[in-house]
Amino acid sequence: MTSTLDVPVSAAANTPPLPKRRRQRNGPLIALLLGPSVILITLFIVLPAFYSIYLSLTNTQLTGFAARDPQFVGLDNFTYLLSNADFLGSLGQTATFTLFSAIIGQTVLGMVAAILLSRPWLRGKGLFGAAVLMPMIVPEVVASLAWASVLSNNSEGTLNRLTGLFGADPTDWLQVVPLTSIIIVNIWRGVAFAMIMFQAALEDVPAELIEAARIDGASAVQVFRHVTLPLIRGPVFLYLLLTTISTVGVFGLVYFLTQGGPGGQTRIAAIYIYERALQFSQIGIGSAASIILLVIVLVLGIVYVRLAKVEV
Amino acid sequence: MKRNRAVALTLTTLVAAAGLSACSAGDDGGDGPVTISIMEYQQTRIDIVEKLIPGFEAEMKEQGRDVTVNLIADQLNDEQFKTKITQQFIAGEAPDVIDMGESLVPGFAGAGYLAPLDEYLEDWDGWEHYYPQFKEASVRQDGKIYSLLNTSGVLNLFYREDILTELGVDTSQPQTWDELIERLVEVRDLTGDTPIVLPAGSAWGGGTWNEGFQPLLGGTDQDYYDPETGTWDLESPGFAAVFDLYSDLAGEELLPVQDLLNPNPWQPTKYEKFPAGEIQVAAQGTWGWKFDWGPEGATPIPDLTEKVSTWQFPGLRDGDEPFGWLNLGGVYTIPESSEHKEEAMLLMQYLTTGEPLAEQLVASGAASPRDDIIDVKPYADEPELLQAGVDQETSVFVPTGDGSDQIAQAVASATELILTGEADGQEAYEAFVRDATELLGPNLVKE
Repeated sequence: MTSTLDVPVSAAANTPPLPKRRRQRNGPLIALLLGPSVILITLFIVLPAFYSIYLSLTNTQLTGFAARDPQFVGLDNFTYLLSNADFLGSLGQTATFTLFSAIIGQTVLGMVAAILLSRPWLRGKGLFGAAVLMPMIVPEVVASLAWASVLSNNSEGTLNRLTGLFGADPTDWLQVVPLTSIIIVNIWRGVAFAMIMFQAALEDVPAELIEAARIDGASAVQVFRHVTLPLIRGPVFLYLLLTTISTVGVFGLVYFLTQGGPGGQTRIAAIYIYERALQFSQIGIGSAASIILLVIVLVLGIVYVRLAKVEV
Repeated sequence: MKRNRAVALTLTTLVAAAGLSACSAGDDGGDGPVTISIMEYQQTRIDIVEKLIPGFEAEMKEQGRDVTVNLIADQLNDEQFKTKITQQFIAGEAPDVIDMGESLVPGFAGAGYLAPLDEYLEDWDGWEHYYPQFKEASVRQDGKIYSLLNTSGVLNLFYREDILTELGVDTSQPQTWDELIERLVEVRDLTGDTPIVLPAGSAWGGGTWNEGFQPLLGGTDQDYYDPETGTWDLESPGFAAVFDLYSDLAGEELLPVQDLLNPNPWQPTKYEKFPAGEIQVAAQGTWGWKFDWGPEGATPIPDLTEKVSTWQFPGLRDGDEPFGWLNLGGVYTIPESSEHKEEAMLLMQYLTTGEPLAEQLVASGAASPRDDIIDVKPYADEPELLQAGVDQETSVFVPTGDGSDQIAQAVASATELILTGEADGQEAYEAFVRDATELLGPNLVKE
C-alpha cells in the first residue's frame, strides 16, 4: 500500500471547491475574518522585512555624521559579511547551537518524553507531564535568572553545590563551557513543545498497525523504527522546521546568560546582529546579516518540507 | 443614507475634537505652564536629581514661570542606555534633557539628534566659569557645542596601599610601565593573584576604549586624531605600543583574563576582587571614591581613603612622563526634537551651578568642571574630589570626533584577541587596523 503524506496536512485538499456564487457571497465574510490578520502581518512583518532589505543595501548608521546621509552601497554589506570571520563564526555557532539544542536535544528528549507518556504502565503521568511543561510556561527572563543561579560561578550555585558534594571546586560554567551551557538551557526550555507535538502525533498512530507488527514478531524498537516513525514523520519534520526557525532566532536567553561571550564563544547570529545594528549602530550591516540569516532559514524550511513528503 | 451621514458626522466631530485636544495638550503657549522631562539612568544620579528638581521648580516660580519637571528614572547600564536613547532620538520621543556620558556626544551630535547650545551659552554667565580645557573639549567637529558638562574627573591607577604595604611592595609613583610591571610580578608571585585590571575586550563595551585604551594611548601619543581634517591616524605609533602593553600584561598573567571575558567584567574585578584586595591595582576615574567604593557606593570599602591611594599612569615609551587622563564624565544635552529647549536649558543651568552642582559632584564622586565651586559645600568638604579638581589642570586629554564609536569597537575586538590568546600585541594591532579601516570608511582614516 502506498500513500503520500504531506506537511502540513490540508483538510481542504479533499474538500470539493465551493460553487462560484457561494464563494462570492462569502467574500465579505472571508475578508472580514482574514482582514485584521492580513493588515497586522503586512504592517509588522512584510513591510519591515522589505524595509530591512532596503536598509541592507545602504550604509545606514544610527550615529555619527554618516547617519545624516545614508548612501546606497549595493551588495557591499553582503560582500563584507560573507568575508568577515566574526560573522561566519557566528553562523557556525548558530549551526552548532541549533543542531545540538533543537534538532538533536529537544527532538530526542521530547520524543522520549512523549513515548513515556503514551505508555499505559507509567504512573504519575500528570506530575511527569507538568515537570516537562514547566520550562515552557516560565517567562524567558525568569528562566534565564534561574539558570544564571544554577550555573553561578560561586560555591552557592546549584550546580557547584552538587559537584561540591563530590569534592570538586566551584566552576564558572558559563565561562568554562559556555556553548554547552546554553545548549543545555535551550534543550530544557524547548523539550516541552517537542513533547506536546509528538504526543499528539503518537495518538494518531492506529493501534491496530502496531498490534499487527507485534503479532508479526517485531520488537519495540522495530515497531518504532518501521511503523511509528514513518507515520509521524510529517509532524516530526514540522516540529523540526518550527524549532529550527525559533532556535536560530534565540536572543534573550543567550544574551542574558553570556552576552555572546566569553571571547565570542556564544556569539550566535542573533547576538551578532544585535551588536552590529544596535550597539555599534550599523543598521545597514545588521540588516544585511538578518537577510542572510532569513535566506538560510528559508532554505532549511524548504529542505524540511521536501523531506516531509515521505512514502509509507 | 441618513444613518450613514449621521455616522460620518459623529466620526468627523470625534476626530476634530481629538485633534483639538491634542493641539491644546502640545501647545503650552509662551508664558503658560510647561512640563519638561529629564532622563537619568544611574541610581545615584536618579536620587540626587530627584532631590534637586523641587528647587528648580521653586526658582522658576520666583521668576514668574510655571515649569514642572518630570524625572524619567530608568535604571540601565551604559550599553542599554545608549540603545534605548538612540531609539528615542530616531522616534523623536527623547526627553527634553538627557544626562549621558560625554563619550556618546560625538556620535549623537554628528547624527543631528542634539540641539546646538551655543546661543544659550553665549547669554549665560555661568559658562565663563567653566575651565578653558573643558570649553575647548566641548566644541565638536562642526564648531558647535552640543553638551554641558556636569561632572568631570581624572582617570588614574587606584591601588590598594594597605595590601601592597603589607606585602612589602614599593608604593611610590612608578615612572615607567616596566617599573610597575616588576612590582605587579612581585605581587603575583606573593599572592597568586592577577593584580591589575584595565578595561579590555568586548564585554566592557565602550569602557575598553574610554577608560582603558585611550588614556594609555593619550599619555604616549596625542597625534592619533586630527581635529582639522576629522581623520584618525591608525598608523600613529601609540596604538601598537598600547597593544603591546596589553599583550605583556596578559602574557605575564597580571590581567584577570577570565574575569574580563565575563559578560559584566566590572563585577568580579572592580566590585568583588578590588574591594576584597585580590586585585591590587585598577584603572579608575575619580568616581571610584564615591560611586564604586564610597560609603554609599556599589561596593563600599571601609576606611577607603586609608586603604586606597592613586598613582598616575606611568610613562609607556621612552621619554614619557607619568600622567593623569582628563575625564569628561557626564553631560546634559537637549534633543533637537525638544519643544521646550529654553526651559530645558534653564534646568541644565540650574543643575550646573552652585549648590545643586556641588551636591551632584559629591553624589557621583566627581571633580568640578567649573572654577567657582571649590568653596561650595558639600563639595568643599571632599579632599579627594578637590584634589582631582586640581589635577585636572595638568591632566592629558585628546579631543576626538566622528568615528570614536567605530574605534572603540575595533579596540574592543582587538584587545579581546589578546585576552583569548589568539593574538600577541602586533597581531592585535594589525587586526585593529583592519577592522577600524573597514568600520570608519575612507573619509575618516588619515591617508
